[in-house]
Amino acid sequence: MLDILIRNGRIVDGTGLPAFHGDIGIQGGRLARVGGQLTGPARHEIDACGQVVAPGFIDPHTHFDAQLMWDAQARPALEHGVTTVVNGNCSLSLAPLRAEHRPKLVSMFQQIEEMPDAAFDGAFAWEWESFADYVAALRGRVALNVAPLAGHSPLRMWVMGGAEAQKRAATPDEIRAMQDLLRDCLEAGAVGLSTSYVDMDENLFPVPSRFAHFEEIDALAAVLGEYGRMLQVVPEFYNTDITLARVDQLAELSLRHGIPTTFSPLFDSAVMPENVSRVLDRVGEQFQRGARVWPQVQTRPIDISFNLEVASLFFIALPAWYLTLRMPRDRKLAALGDPGTRQGLIDAAEPGGDTQRFAHLRVRDSRDASLIGRNLGEIAKERSTTPAAALIDLSLDEDLGVHFLSANMGHEDPSRIGPLIANDLVHVGASDAGAHIQSFATYGDTGYLFSEFVRKGHHLSLEHAVRKITGETAQIWGIPDRGLLRSGMAADVVVFDPETIARGDERPAHDMPENGMRYVREARGVDTVIVNGELTWSAKGGYTDARPGVVANA
Amino acid sequence: MPGPVIDDARVAPGHDGEAVLVVQVRHENGGVDSVTLDADCARRLLENCDAQVASDLRGKPWQHLLDVLPR
Repeated sequence: MLDILIRNGRIVDGTGLPAFHGDIGIQGGRLARVGGQLTGPARHEIDACGQVVAPGFIDPHTHFDAQLMWDAQARPALEHGVTTVVNGNCSLSLAPLRAEHRPKLVSMFQQIEEMPDAAFDGAFAWEWESFADYVAALRGRVALNVAPLAGHSPLRMWVMGGAEAQKRAATPDEIRAMQDLLRDCLEAGAVGLSTSYVDMDENLFPVPSRFAHFEEIDALAAVLGEYGRMLQVVPEFYNTDITLARVDQLAELSLRHGIPTTFSPLFDSAVMPENVSRVLDRVGEQFQRGARVWPQVQTRPIDISFNLEVASLFFIALPAWYLTLRMPRDRKLAALGDPGTRQGLIDAAEPGGDTQRFAHLRVRDSRDASLIGRNLGEIAKERSTTPAAALIDLSLDEDLGVHFLSANMGHEDPSRIGPLIANDLVHVGASDAGAHIQSFATYGDTGYLFSEFVRKGHHLSLEHAVRKITGETAQIWGIPDRGLLRSGMAADVVVFDPETIARGDERPAHDMPENGMRYVREARGVDTVIVNGELTWSAKGGYTDARPGVVANA
Repeated sequence: MPGPVIDDARVAPGHDGEAVLVVQVRHENGGVDSVTLDADCARRLLENCDAQVASDLRGKPWQHLLDVLPR
């Protein structure tokens, strides 16, 4: 008897080949049969008529590290159809890590992920130090699969000590010790090593990985070469020329050690319009040489968010505003409350009564839930005032605590982003899911891929889009047994409506430990999510208690 | 001898959702390059250049930029 029978689906198998109609049978956590008409019987049947049946999506750039320890489903990623996540990105992983280094690593995570103290402090029992014990801690605990990277920063801390790791280059003996430690991680199931040339700790001091000389990276890449594993890098993405130099460096490591490499982020902006094309040209040249240097590109646009607590550069074109916001807090509050200054600010932002500049700004977070998600144009109209006045008044009402959002400020032009993510050299990823949680929602990029670039822009076919986030991802990362719908492979399956799959609206949620806040987006158009043959989420029933996730490479 | 100068400075969205300032520098041989500054570095650059708005930075020597970059 089959465990699950999915009937009458439009099967998109992750290879990019044309979809076909048929049934799928699942037994013992595996795909028993793909295609044809199955007679059953089955313990559970799903009618997929009119819906797509695809491999579970794989997210190659997440920060689901601490969160997985108290949220087995990595909500809301799972309900978007994500069945495998790569964590431990950007040089930071929860292992290998000595107990005495935990406070320091937690501080770094808080800086990068914006996780509250409570997410680490008492939210889970930290029982491991070695990577093998971390992998053991994940077993039986998670609802989706985890493909963990070993972080370069904790690797350095383990070998050199916390202080020295963040101070200097490693000695030859220390490099050899790091090689041995990385070997242990890869043996235990790590899918590679992550490092960063950009990230900062809580004191805005470079994270340990940034103190490594090339000899250290080269030596660690040699160990990756023994296993054919991935090197993930955050390059100096704020400068095109330095990024090009990193692409060349990654290519040399790839060729020398026979490893795949990937870097992120790479994103488009009207202010640096040639950035992406120059980087992609160089990536293409290096692929021609036989190197593997995969740029990860996100699907979603980039927003700018701010409150009046700090002087955001968003206001730099308005000197009166920018100078006021740069004042010490007490003077700033007095100035914003002063009728003359207030009127001067309004006049500067709305010359001649033109209220367009701030009308599109949305309230991202407020103590008044009825304001969240609404734009200042609407709110101003309701209050018989102007958007600039509403911006000031709302901020003063909540002691400058109200957050505003200017949407789609970068990476937002579908005519540029569509062809980019369809490019064969581009690895769709960089969602950063689980990071920046108090600034914006990093969930639903997969739904956005289908709604924006398949249905609306026609930049990718349905099959191409599915391949980009399933079979191709598994191939790039060397994740065995997943990413395709093929008999005998692991039964990670998502059923969705191709006409409605999308990301929901961004909203604040207070679902972190001790009621901490983050931004989330629910899924739209996803019907069923199956991991290793077990139902983990459905539109009708929500999340289940199943914990079928495994460490994908262990 | 005049050195490289700031050619342009514009606000852009950063990877983390914060606004950043992209400063373009033109070298004497005509080559251009850009540097991205966070809010703190941008504020110090404006102060060092006695500039009120980003457009006031045009024509300023790049030494001001070097002075505010993290070391």
